[in-house]
Amino acid sequence: MSSRSSKDLLSFTEDLLTRVYEKLGSESDRKSWRLVCREFLRVDSLTRNHLRVLRVEFLQSLPGKYPRLQSLDLSVCPCIDDGTFSLLLNRHASGSESGSLSWFSWARGLKRLTLSRAAGLGFMGLEALVHACPSLESVDVSYCCGFGDREAAALSNAARLRVLKMDKCLNVSDVGLAKIVVRCGKLERLSLKWCMEISDLGVDLLCKKCLDLKFLDISYLKVTNESLRTIATLQKLEVLAMVGCPLVDDVGLQFLENGCPLLQGIDVSRCECVSSSGLISVIKGHGSLRELNASYILSELCTTFLHCIKGLKHLEMIRIDGSRIAEPSFSVISNYCKSLVEIGLCKCVGVTNMGIMQLASGCITLRVLNLTCCGSITDAAISAIAESCRNLVCLKLESCNMITEKSLYQLGSFCSVLEEIDLTDCCGVNDKGLEYMSNCSGLKCLKLGICTNVSDKGLFSIGSNCPKIHELDLYCCSGIGDEGLGALSMGCKNLMKLNLSYCNEITDRGMEYISCLEELSDLEMRGLEKVTGTGLAAIAAGCKRLADLDLKHCVKVNDSGFWALACYAKNLRQINLSYCPISDMALCLVMGNLTRLQDAKLVHLSNVSVDGFELALRACSFRIKKVKLFAPLRFLLSSEILENLHARGCKIRWD
Amino acid sequence: MDPNNRLSGNELRNSIPNQTAFSHFNTQHPQKWEDPSLIDYSTRIEPPFQGFNQVKISQDGLGNEMRSTYKIQDWDPSAMLNNLSFLEQKIHQLQELVHLIVGRRMQVLGRPDEFVTQQQQLLNADLTSIIVQLISTAGSLLPSVKSTLPAAPPSVGQFGQLGGAVFPLPGLNGGVQLQNTNGSKVPDQPNQSDISANCVTEQNLNIEEHDLKEEEDADEGENLPPGTYEILQPEKEEILAPHTHFCTICGKGFKRDANLRMHMRGHGDEYKTPAALAKPHKEPSSEPTLIKRYSCPYSGCKRNKDHKKFQPLKTILCVKNHYKRTHCDKSYTCSRCNTKRFSVIADLKTHEKHCGKDKWLCSCGTTFSRKDKLFGHITLFQGHTPAISVEESKALVGPSDQKEGNQGTNKAGSMNFNFPPNATSDSGIQSIMDVKGNTDDPAGIFSPLNFDNFGGFGEFPRPPFDDSESSFAFLLSGSYNYSQKNEADDNSNNLA
Repeated sequence: MSSRSSKDLLSFTEDLLTRVYEKLGSESDRKSWRLVCREFLRVDSLTRNHLRVLRVEFLQSLPGKYPRLQSLDLSVCPCIDDGTFSLLLNRHASGSESGSLSWFSWARGLKRLTLSRAAGLGFMGLEALVHACPSLESVDVSYCCGFGDREAAALSNAARLRVLKMDKCLNVSDVGLAKIVVRCGKLERLSLKWCMEISDLGVDLLCKKCLDLKFLDISYLKVTNESLRTIATLQKLEVLAMVGCPLVDDVGLQFLENGCPLLQGIDVSRCECVSSSGLISVIKGHGSLRELNASYILSELCTTFLHCIKGLKHLEMIRIDGSRIAEPSFSVISNYCKSLVEIGLCKCVGVTNMGIMQLASGCITLRVLNLTCCGSITDAAISAIAESCRNLVCLKLESCNMITEKSLYQLGSFCSVLEEIDLTDCCGVNDKGLEYMSNCSGLKCLKLGICTNVSDKGLFSIGSNCPKIHELDLYCCSGIGDEGLGALSMGCKNLMKLNLSYCNEITDRGMEYISCLEELSDLEMRGLEKVTGTGLAAIAAGCKRLADLDLKHCVKVNDSGFWALACYAKNLRQINLSYCPISDMALCLVMGNLTRLQDAKLVHLSNVSVDGFELALRACSFRIKKVKLFAPLRFLLSSEILENLHARGCKIRWD
Repeated sequence: MDPNNRLSGNELRNSIPNQTAFSHFNTQHPQKWEDPSLIDYSTRIEPPFQGFNQVKISQDGLGNEMRSTYKIQDWDPSAMLNNLSFLEQKIHQLQELVHLIVGRRMQVLGRPDEFVTQQQQLLNADLTSIIVQLISTAGSLLPSVKSTLPAAPPSVGQFGQLGGAVFPLPGLNGGVQLQNTNGSKVPDQPNQSDISANCVTEQNLNIEEHDLKEEEDADEGENLPPGTYEILQPEKEEILAPHTHFCTICGKGFKRDANLRMHMRGHGDEYKTPAALAKPHKEPSSEPTLIKRYSCPYSGCKRNKDHKKFQPLKTILCVKNHYKRTHCDKSYTCSRCNTKRFSVIADLKTHEKHCGKDKWLCSCGTTFSRKDKLFGHITLFQGHTPAISVEESKALVGPSDQKEGNQGTNKAGSMNFNFPPNATSDSGIQSIMDVKGNTDDPAGIFSPLNFDNFGGFGEFPRPPFDDSESSFAFLLSGSYNYSQKNEADDNSNNLA
C-alpha cells in the first residue's frame, strides 16, 4: 500500500469508512482492519454491534468501548458469575455518573444476550443484568443446568423479550415459566428443551399468555396430550418441535389438525407413542407444511401416510430416519413433493438403488440428503443423484460400503456446490476418489474416518483444490503421513477442526505442518505414538486459536510439549490428557496457566502424584467446570479441594 | 303477639341461672375426686349432659307424672324434665353397676389380685362418677323450682317450649294416644314427632321477624331468637373427655353410641335384639323435640350464653370442637412441619393431608393447595404470577420457633406458620435477603386462605379476627405494592 493511497484512505470520512467496514465478511478480515491504524480501530469500535468475549478478564473493559453494541455473547466464558456482573455494571454505572455515557451506550442498547453455559451466574447477577439492559429482546441461557425459578423470575423482568432459549435449565419449573410468560407476553420464540420440570400446566399457561408465539420447542418434556390441546390454540405458531415427548400420542396430534393455522414445521421424532395416524391428522390439517421430522416413530411408511404426503405441495424437508420404506414410496415422494430440499433416510430399511434413482428423478431441487447406514446403496444411485440434483450441498454416506470412486467422480463432476460430504467408514473411498472429490472446490466439511485406503496422495488433491475446507476428519486413516498434512497445511488455511486420531504414521514434522493452521481450534490427535513434545510445542505455539485439544494416548509427548502448551495455548477450553506421561509440575502449569480451561480429562496419568493432582486442581478450581479423574483419587484428594470444586459448580466424573 | 313478649328475655335469664347453678355445682367437685387411685375419673365420668341428648322415658308412669307436674306448675319444664330423666337413667345405671359389683365379687375369687383391684378401681370410678352426677343433678332441681315458681304468666318463649313439650306427649304411650283429639287411627309415631318439630319451628318463624337485627351477625345462618330454643351447656370435663359413651357393664368408653351398642352385644343376648341395636333417638318414647342449642362453658366467649351477642352452637360436636380449638392448648403438633399445632385431632389429620405438599402462592398473596388451581388463577388474572420457592424456604427453615411468641397474644398468629420468613432460607445471599425477607413476610403469613385449615372458621372467636383483618389486608396489599415498585424486589423473589 503506497503512502499516497493510504493517505487517501485515511482522508475518508468516518461515514465512508464505516460503509467500507460493513462490507468486510469474516472476522479475520475485521481483525486485520482493526490493526491498520487507530482511526480504523475507532471505526471498528463505533460500528461493531456484536461482541463475543473470549476471555472473561477482558469483559470489564470491553463492552464500554462499543457504543452500538446490540449483541453480547458470553457463551465461551462460562466462569462468569454474579460478581462479574456486579463489578461490570457498577463500574459502568459509576462511570456514567462521572459524565461518561458508556453504561447507557452498551447496556441500554443491548438486544441480544448469549449466556449459554453460564452456570455460575445466579439470579441476582442475572437480575442486575436484565435491569441494566432494558431493550433486551433475545436471551440464550441454554445449558445453564442450575438455572431454576429464581433465575427465570429474574429473566422475566425483560418485558420486551421476544426470543428465549432455555434448553436444559433443569430446575426451571412451571412456576418459573409462569413468571416469564406472564411478564414477557411478546415472546415469539421459546425453547424449553430438556426443562424437565415443566409440565402441562406451564405449557397451558404459556399458550394462554403468549399469543404471538411462532416457534416453540418442548422437546423431551413430560407433557401430555393436554399440552397439545392448548398449543393448538396458538394462532401464530409456525414451528413446533416436540422431540422425544413420551407421553404424547396420536390423540394429541389430532388437536393440531384443526389448530395452529400457520403451522409450517413440526418435529415429532422419537415420540414413542406417535404413529402414522397422528401424523396423518397433522398433515391433513396443514397442507402448507414445509418441514416434517418423523424420525424413529414410523416403523413403516404406510400407504395412507404416503397418500397424505402427496398433498404437501410445499414440503421442503422430510426426515423419516429409522423407518422401513418400500420402493414405490420413493416415486410418490418424487412425483408429488417437487419442492423438497432435504430428505433424511438415516438408517432406513429398504433404501435401494432403484428407490434413490426414482427420488433423484423427481426431487431435482434437493440440497441435503442423508443416506447414513443405507448399506445397499451403490454407485448407480449416487450417480443418479449427482446427475439430477445439481444443487446438492450436503450428502451423508456414512457406512455405505459399496460406494467406490465412481460415485465420487460423478459427485465431483456434477455437484459443484457440494459443501459437506460424510464418507466415514466407506471403505471404497481411495486416493483416486478424493482426487475426483476435490473438484468440488467449495467443499467445507469432509469426513473420511476409517477410510483406510486414503493416503497422502489423496490429501494432496484435497489440499490443492479445496481451500475452503474447515472440517476434516481423518480418524484412523492409517495411510496418512506427514506429507499429506504438509499439503493440507499449505492449501486448507481455513481448517478449524481436524481429527488425526490413530493416524499412527504422523510424526513431529506433521505436527509442525499443522502448526501453520492459524484458524485451527479443534484438534484431536489421540494415539499419535510418534509425536513427541516438540510436535506439541509446535502446535501450541502455532495454533493460537486452539480451544479443544485431545492428547489421549500420546505416550511420547514429554513435559517440554506440555510446558509449551501451558505457555502458549491461552485459548484452550478443553483438554484431554489421559494416558499422557505428563509430570506433576507440567500438569500444575497447564491447569494453572490456561485461564480459559473449563474441561479437563485427567485419567491414568501415571507420572502424576496425588499431590500433583491436588495442586493442579487447586490452581484451576475457580474456573474449571468439568473434570474427569481416576476414581481412587476420590479418597486420596483432600476433601477441601473436592468441596471447593463442588462449591464452584464443577462436575467431577470419576473414572 | 301479646304483652308477654317483653318478658321472654327475663324468662330466659331466669332459666339460665338454673343451668349455671347446676354447672357450678358440678365443677366444684372434681377437686374432691382427684384421688390418685381414681386418676381416670375425669376421663371416665359419664357426663350429665348425655342425659339431655338421649332422654329416654321408659316408664310411662314417670312420664305421666312429669306431665302432670308440668300442667300444674308453669316453670321451665324441659330443663326439669331433662334433669329428671337424667336422674332416672343414672339410677338405673347405678343399679346395674352395683349388680355388677356383686356379680364380680362372686366371679373373681380365683383371679390374680392385681387384675381384681384394677377392675375394682374402674367400677369404683364409675360408681363415684354416677353418684356425683346424681347429686349434682338432683341439686339443680331445687333452685329451678324456686326460681320459676313466682314466674309471671307464660311468655312466648315458654309457649314455644310448652308446645314442644306437651304436643307430642300423647305419643309417649298407647294409652294416651287414644286421647288424641283427632280421634282417628293412630298415626305413625315418627310422624307425630315430626309434626311437633314443625310446630316448634313454625312458632319460631313467627318470632323471627321481630329479632332479626339482633342476630344479624350470627354466622350459622339461623336466626333463632333467644328463648325459642333450649340452651345446653356441657361442662369442661365433659367436653374434654375422650369418650362420651360408656359401657354400663365393663366401663369401656366409646366415642359413638353406635359403637357402644355394637360393644354391648358381647355382654349378652339381650343386647342383640333389634330394639337394643336400634338408634335410640328413633325410639317412639323420645323426648319431645325442642330445638337445642349449645353454649360454651368458657365465660366471656361469644359462644357462652352470658355473652351479650351470644351465638349458640348447633351441636354437641360443635361445642367440643369449639372449646378445644378456642380455649385449649394446641397439643397436637404436626409431625411433618413441626410448626402447626392443633387442639382437635381431626384438624391435625386434615392438615397432615396437605402438609408437606407445596403451598402454591400467587403474587397477590392468595395460596392454593393445588398447583393447577394456582395456574387457573394466574390464567384468569392479568399480571399475577406465582411466587417462587415457597417450598425451598419451607424446607430450609424447619422449626420456626421465633414465631411462637405470637401464639399467646394473637390467635391469628398462632396458626400462621405456613410461610416462615424467607430471609433464613438462602444461606448464600442471606445478607441481602434479610431486609426484604422481613418486609415480604406478612404477605405469606397472613394470606387469607391460611385459615382454611380450620374447618370451623365460624367457630373461632370473632373479636381477634375482626380487629386484625383489616390490618392483614393492609399488610398484604402493602407488601405487594412494595414489591411491584421496588427494583429490589427480585432480590427476594421468593414472594413477589
